[in-house]
Amino acid sequence: MTSIELKMAWRNIWRNPRRSILTMLAVAFACLLLIFMLSWQFGSYETMINSTVKIQTGHIQVQALEFREKNDIRLAVQDPAAIIRILKKTAGINAYTLRSKTFSLISSKNRTCGAMVIGIDPVREGRMSPLKKLVRKGRYFSSDDSNQAIIGSLLAKNLRVNIGDELIILGQGFDGSVAASMVKVKGIFNSGQDDFDRGLVHIPLKFFEAVYAMRGAVHEVVVTANSLKEVAEIKKKVAAGLASAGLKTKLVVLDWKQLMPGLIEAIKMDLVSGLIFYVILIVVVAFSILNTFLMAIFERTREFGILMALGISAGKLTRLLLLESMTMTLLGVFIGAIAGSLITSYFQAHGIVIPGSTELLRQYGLPERMHPRLSLLSASIGAGIVLLITSLTALYPALKVRRLRPLEAMMSA
Amino acid sequence: MQMKRAAYIFVCLAVLLTAGKDNGAALDTDAIVQAAVTYYRGNASVSTVDMIVHRPNWQRAYTIKAWTRGQKDSLFTILAPSRDQGNGTLKRGREMWTYNPKVNRVIKLPPSMMSQAWMGSDFSNNDLAKSDSILEDYDHEAAGTETHDGKKVYVISARPKSNAPVIWGMQKLKIREDYILLCQEFYDEDLRLVKAMTGEQIQPLGGKLFPKVWKMQKADRPQAYTVLDYRELVFHDDLSDSIFSLSSLKQPRR
Repeated sequence: MTSIELKMAWRNIWRNPRRSILTMLAVAFACLLLIFMLSWQFGSYETMINSTVKIQTGHIQVQALEFREKNDIRLAVQDPAAIIRILKKTAGINAYTLRSKTFSLISSKNRTCGAMVIGIDPVREGRMSPLKKLVRKGRYFSSDDSNQAIIGSLLAKNLRVNIGDELIILGQGFDGSVAASMVKVKGIFNSGQDDFDRGLVHIPLKFFEAVYAMRGAVHEVVVTANSLKEVAEIKKKVAAGLASAGLKTKLVVLDWKQLMPGLIEAIKMDLVSGLIFYVILIVVVAFSILNTFLMAIFERTREFGILMALGISAGKLTRLLLLESMTMTLLGVFIGAIAGSLITSYFQAHGIVIPGSTELLRQYGLPERMHPRLSLLSASIGAGIVLLITSLTALYPALKVRRLRPLEAMMSA
Repeated sequence: MQMKRAAYIFVCLAVLLTAGKDNGAALDTDAIVQAAVTYYRGNASVSTVDMIVHRPNWQRAYTIKAWTRGQKDSLFTILAPSRDQGNGTLKRGREMWTYNPKVNRVIKLPPSMMSQAWMGSDFSNNDLAKSDSILEDYDHEAAGTETHDGKKVYVISARPKSNAPVIWGMQKLKIREDYILLCQEFYDEDLRLVKAMTGEQIQPLGGKLFPKVWKMQKADRPQAYTVLDYRELVFHDDLSDSIFSLSSLKQPRR
């Protein structure tokens, strides 16, 4: 490749600036769109995972074997202190808390519903889950509360209760005895997730222990990691710690994918529908670029004929054309990548509210403001795919030139 | 004339026989189930029962006093263990209440609770109340015969009627010819056995032959079962309304 070829390619590009700029902009726009969409998807997954995980399951849980499937009060972690000792030795853990839960009847003055009663550690839970922030009426637990409850807004509506009203909890204790108690509604939370707001009653863990005769056992040791990336490593370490601790009851370490299989399914489905969109986008871009390149050659047939008559070889001509298209593609991708990254990082900082989607997002318990997440991966995948496709597309017209005969070419148009 | 008369009698006989046969098959099973339910429920009964809930790594014993009347009304109250004493369940018609002395409140249970386990046992409220669900919500069909202690046993499969509010896909009953229910099997929608109740130790009880021990066994877990052992059983012609009332649920007569 000589400098004369580069110079010629550069001049050729700017001989028809409007066409070249349009081509470059098409490439740039495709690149920008891909980068933004990919970052958006990755970002929304992270938001989905973190917000659902934080209020519901944590990143990792230690439970008795089969508790998740059977929800049997007997399937409990007998010695949570031993688990906490293991957690304290494990790096990358952001927070942990203990929970107990069982299904019970909740009865107000004249209504009765079934609900999941969850015993939570007021202090630790407050630090870890957004429950505290979600309390819309009344207040969150203080550390020494006993027979107080924080219930979901829909449950409160179904039971027709308000702050300060009495509820009866009726269920079965750890030892099989009848567990019954009166609690006062201290707070009403609204997570936006209907299942959640309809079916949960939070009471302090100590009170749960007394009512359900748990004798120190809990059902879940909930752990959040510093970041999503560290979850696998922490899971492995905790599992190893459990194995070496030699506890009586069979315990399992579950990560958020196992705890909420629905979430990972939703993500997979979204990713596939995203892929379909990207394929369509790329095909459209590829055809528009093919079109501009082909048009350029038809327009310049006469010029190519003269060049060939002057003695330029077909190979050199192909190289020249490829150089032109590569330069335009690279410029386009460059512009697109920079603009895409800039726009994405702007929205990453400020978030986006899609009008009308609030209701839908609430159903999935997601915050209404979504943040795309720009990463090296999302930026390079977008730019890389566009670069690859346009280069492949440019190959066809460049090779077509080889079939030109100088005389015929000079006589055309 | 003679011929004509003989032919007439023959036709009548034939009609009677075939009619009897047709109706018989359909009627028989319904009647047998009805008779079995009437037999074990009686008109009304008062009983004291020991219940043992057995699980692989624990076991719990209760003593329960039970009143039943007809096919709709029942009252249970727990006598022991002391921690649970006074807890009770009242069923009247399709309505059900439970009482807990600790919170001193009567709670009306949603109808869905009827098919829930009672006190963590393998018996549902329906099973314990010996409810008439098996009569009203199921179609019965003969599925063979067996023998037990030299007596004939009817095997009857019961499929839920469409739209019946039941959780089982099928029940299979074994009823002895003297209408003693020997076995009741519960199948899910895929017709897999979920649990089976068997009556054992048939002996005179409350003035008639009655299985003293009822065992409800989970199909998939041999170590999970519940045993009901009748300590006392008295059948009555009727019991007063006041027994099946909310105030009686709070203060059951001993």
